[in-house]
Amino acid sequence: MVTKEKQYVDYADALTAFSTGLGEPEWMLQLRLEALNSIEKLELPIIERLRYNRWPLFQVPNLTGAPAAKSVDITQFIQDKADAARVVQTGNETVIETLPESLKEKGVIFTDIQTALKDHSELVKEAYMQIAVKPQKNQITAFHAAFMNSGLFLYVPKNVVVEEPLEAIFIQNSLVEDSFIKHVLVYADVNSSFDYVERFFTAGQEKNAANILVEVVAKQGAQVKFSAVDQLGENTTTYFNRAGHTFRDASIDWAIGVMNNGSTIADLDTNLMGDGSSSDLKAVAISSGKQTQVIDSNVVSYGKSTTGNIYQHGVILDRATLTFNGIGHIIKGAKGSDAQQESRVLMLSDKARGDANPILLIDENEVTAGHAASVGRVDPEEMYYLMSRGIEKSEAERLVIRGFLGSVISAIPLKSIRDELVETIERKLTSR
Amino acid sequence: MAVLEIKNLHVSIEDKEILKGVNLKMQTGEIHAIMGPNGTGKSTLSAAIMGHPSYEVTEGEVLLDGENVLELEVDERARAGLFLAVQYPSEIAGITNAEFMRAAINSRRDEDNKMGVMDFINKLDEKMALLDMSEEMAERYLNEGFSGGEKKRNEILQLLMIEPTFAILDEIDSGLDIDALQVVSKGVNEMRGENFGSLIITHYQRLLNYITPDVVHIMMDGRVVKTGGAELAHKLEAEGYKGLMEELGIEYKEEEHE
Repeated sequence: MVTKEKQYVDYADALTAFSTGLGEPEWMLQLRLEALNSIEKLELPIIERLRYNRWPLFQVPNLTGAPAAKSVDITQFIQDKADAARVVQTGNETVIETLPESLKEKGVIFTDIQTALKDHSELVKEAYMQIAVKPQKNQITAFHAAFMNSGLFLYVPKNVVVEEPLEAIFIQNSLVEDSFIKHVLVYADVNSSFDYVERFFTAGQEKNAANILVEVVAKQGAQVKFSAVDQLGENTTTYFNRAGHTFRDASIDWAIGVMNNGSTIADLDTNLMGDGSSSDLKAVAISSGKQTQVIDSNVVSYGKSTTGNIYQHGVILDRATLTFNGIGHIIKGAKGSDAQQESRVLMLSDKARGDANPILLIDENEVTAGHAASVGRVDPEEMYYLMSRGIEKSEAERLVIRGFLGSVISAIPLKSIRDELVETIERKLTSR
Repeated sequence: MAVLEIKNLHVSIEDKEILKGVNLKMQTGEIHAIMGPNGTGKSTLSAAIMGHPSYEVTEGEVLLDGENVLELEVDERARAGLFLAVQYPSEIAGITNAEFMRAAINSRRDEDNKMGVMDFINKLDEKMALLDMSEEMAERYLNEGFSGGEKKRNEILQLLMIEPTFAILDEIDSGLDIDALQVVSKGVNEMRGENFGSLIITHYQRLLNYITPDVVHIMMDGRVVKTGGAELAHKLEAEGYKGLMEELGIEYKEEEHE
């Protein structure tokens, strides 16, 4: 299993000092220590069609609390200045935090997790690894709970509607050797409604692990539109878990561009707990070089009349691997629920490996469900048609691929990020 | 003046010879019609000229101003001036109709002479109005969910936007009602002029009531068997292919459509 010089429990003192040094509340320290004690006893999550027990995911972070020896120049990643709500973090540090007065007045909280733990301890405690993901879910979540070293807290109060998207940018600092254990907690209170957009980058070439846990808790009637573009570096080995939990009539819609350059597991889990709640999950991915990316989308209906859609499209180049697992699960009692999924992989190289693996688990009779999956090549008829209008082969191929990935692009609320995603796609395609 | 010349063209699909030596010559300023029974190779001719990957040319040449286009890639043929409108164009999700047409136009232009957005939109609006197409058609995904009639109008819209030298219309009239037929004809007639030639493939004569051809060719069993003026189409309408076959002494049984 995990190679390590000492047992995780041996880190208890260092972890206590780390937590105390940050001024964390007592409950947080206890949560960390309990998680630490359970790591060894837990299993890795099972990811269909992937063996990853040798991936270097368990890198204990620097617990000294000292700032990183080298700092990231953010201008490489962000050119514009936003007047709207924006948080930018490089490594474990928060470098920009902007929240319009109008949102502050309404009680919106959008700040780094450490500040939130100081100023809003009880509110964070309500949701932090309590609802969407429990620390003991598996070995990776326990490791995360123990060693989490930075993050973000977004809270939108009851009945508050935020018009402009709230934006977060996380830049992993791989100019230094350190583990990136980021926690994002999005807490949507009753009947709130907003868009949240996040982006992940890596600065530097150090070989580091990333263990990222994003929790979205949507209370009764809350509507969350979540979009993300992930572009972690080629020397980063990532486990991403984005987990949603819906109360009655709530919805969480995900639009996620999995555009990392290194080995990645993206676990996208939504539990539709409340009756009438829904989730629409759209993910697009490109794998290139020799990288492996696995996108594991899991929508589970517990409540009655829930709706869960999974839509995954991906492109593979070079010798890369891309696997889509789509798991639609309707639990006994979730009458009137609907689980649909579509996973499609486009192979642009003979040496690439692609897999689209639909799984429907239905434990209730009065439901509807469906799936479609395919792994294939660019349709020669489509290419012929575009080229017959004078469009060059390379351009025609780009158009077809962009069209194929387009559904997620159009679901992202910020034009600048849509454009960036298009640019990223084009860059990956032209690097062949 | 440009010239399109098809010389002794033989084409096979999966080793079955469909075209058995087609000869045809036309120039800009002219509209030619190709008529013939089903399964006689009319669509094969158009696909082979454009370069569809399923069709293998085993012999012959297609010369555009003396250059053999069969040696060119599909996109190069298009940029050389050829255009093919088809009955069943591909549906491609995620690419808007407008984006596609702008890419097609700009593929013909140099880097420093690309068509600007405003010029493009103005031209598009004008051509769509001519074809009675609603503006939202421009922002819909390419042919996706279009009805048969909408697809054919969209093919003609592309013709008007791209302004090729020679356009081949492959049974663009089939399945259209009279109103749609008139609109499609209006589009083609709009293009008519000394810098444009068109080869209209049709099973029925009725399209030729709206677009009067200068020359009519009759194809049977993989060859052009008779060439004449517009009156040939009328004669055919009156007597049917059977009458013509008897006159030519050809024994030919109509096959199911490919």
